[in-house]
Amino acid sequence: MSAGEDEQREEPFYLGVPTRIGASLLHLSGELGGMIVLAARLLRRLVPPRVDRDELVKNLHKTGVRSVGIVSVTAIFVGAIMVIQAAPLVMRFNAKEIVGWGAGFATLREVGPLLIALMFSGRVGANNTAELGTMVVTDQIDALRALAIDPLAYLILPRVISMVVMLFLLTIVGDAVAIVGAIGAAKVLLDVDPRSFISSLTVLLDEWDLATGLIKSVAFGVMIALTSCHFGLSVKGGAPGVGRAVNAAVVAAASGIFVLDYFSTYLLG
Amino acid sequence: MSALETMGAPVLHLVREIRDLFAMLARTVVLSIRGRRDRRTIVEQAYQMGNRSVFFVSVTMGFIGTIMVFQAGLQALKIVPELSMLGATFAELLVRDLAASIGAMMLATRVGAGIAAEIGSMVVTEQVDAMRMCAADPIEYLVVPRFLASVLMTFCLLIWAAVVAFGAGMVTANVVFEVNYATFANFSMVDAGDVIVGLTKMLAYGAAIPIVSARCGLTTFGGSEGVGWATTNAVVQSSLAVIVLNFVISSVGFLLFPG
Repeated sequence: MSAGEDEQREEPFYLGVPTRIGASLLHLSGELGGMIVLAARLLRRLVPPRVDRDELVKNLHKTGVRSVGIVSVTAIFVGAIMVIQAAPLVMRFNAKEIVGWGAGFATLREVGPLLIALMFSGRVGANNTAELGTMVVTDQIDALRALAIDPLAYLILPRVISMVVMLFLLTIVGDAVAIVGAIGAAKVLLDVDPRSFISSLTVLLDEWDLATGLIKSVAFGVMIALTSCHFGLSVKGGAPGVGRAVNAAVVAAASGIFVLDYFSTYLLG
Repeated sequence: MSALETMGAPVLHLVREIRDLFAMLARTVVLSIRGRRDRRTIVEQAYQMGNRSVFFVSVTMGFIGTIMVFQAGLQALKIVPELSMLGATFAELLVRDLAASIGAMMLATRVGAGIAAEIGSMVVTEQVDAMRMCAADPIEYLVVPRFLASVLMTFCLLIWAAVVAFGAGMVTANVVFEVNYATFANFSMVDAGDVIVGLTKMLAYGAAIPIVSARCGLTTFGGSEGVGWATTNAVVQSSLAVIVLNFVISSVGFLLFPG
């Protein structure tokens, strides 16, 4: 440790910024590589599926069913906010017939999956990292290995599968709730008839817009699952290490979601 | 009776939570005006929250700007075959809502988790009880510096977020849709109402995130596992606070400044 500090002190000052950029790049590629290795190992355990069924069911309940409330609350506000955002434009051009389309397009395609994934990452992903991290710190993962139980098949794979499946299903629920919120806001603020809202939504929007959002949600689910498991499994340094890992996992998942959103928007647009 | 209980219990819980949050907000505001202000702690917290979030906020807002302009461009090309108003509408949306809300969601994950983890581990290791023993108010010593630092730094960071997102959008519009930089940088649709609503949101989020997260931290129980829970709760509840505040301020803003 002290040797490293000495080396840093001897460095000329103008190398400071490039060194820091290089160090953070190396750090980033290390974490990315770890996530890809984890994904490859998990895929190998999927080929003849070796998943613990009881764990899977337990995790499906824990990640999915218990997140319905928070996702619904998020979604209803997201739908309403989208209508409020479209409102000034609608008032200016007096285009009340297309408010359903405008709000629906933004919600189903972009904002809905994104915000639901962020909430899911905050609730389920962070909790998962904390749980796995605590297990690592208290040597429970090593105990599993000692009992000849594969920790990846028993512990990690059920979590990854349930996060991906449940985020997909929660996005469907969230989309529906968000549309209800949008219809409510349009009725109260703009006095748009719910029937005309729905007709503009169904006529102007095609299946592909809905599918884009759902495809994205699967990609977000994979991202959240991999980051939260990877950061949880690589916890070092006791209880403070768990706190740091949770923070790092949430930040990594959020940035990952945005990067994925960027690429999927171009690929699916 | 039991069905009524199961429905009413969460509502009562929510009401109590909200009342406690407002009580804490009131005490924090009073103490930040009248109490002692430890300048060194405030500066340190401002550095932790502000300077160290600049990179994260810039990256995510850059992506958001790019995505939004790309989407809006495709959407606009479906209706009208010209994109001269693309920058103007994007600027209005950005000032009114996007910069503040998406940026604040990002800060809620970073800043909120940090505050809750720090205060939570102090609670678990009984440092907060030790403070109370010394007749030092935890709100005055722990929450007030974080509150002041967050209000200041969130405000600055979110304005920076708007600049980054607009720049990224400008480049995207130029590269993808071949819109001139000068045509895109059109602020004719941004009026005083948009600016007031946007700045109000920035202040409200900056105040809400530390209060919600600090409350999660102060109510931590049950060892290191409890700290994990507090962190998770802080992220979820402060994101939720941002969404709810966005809804409230947007609706009031729309009623005050329609069109």
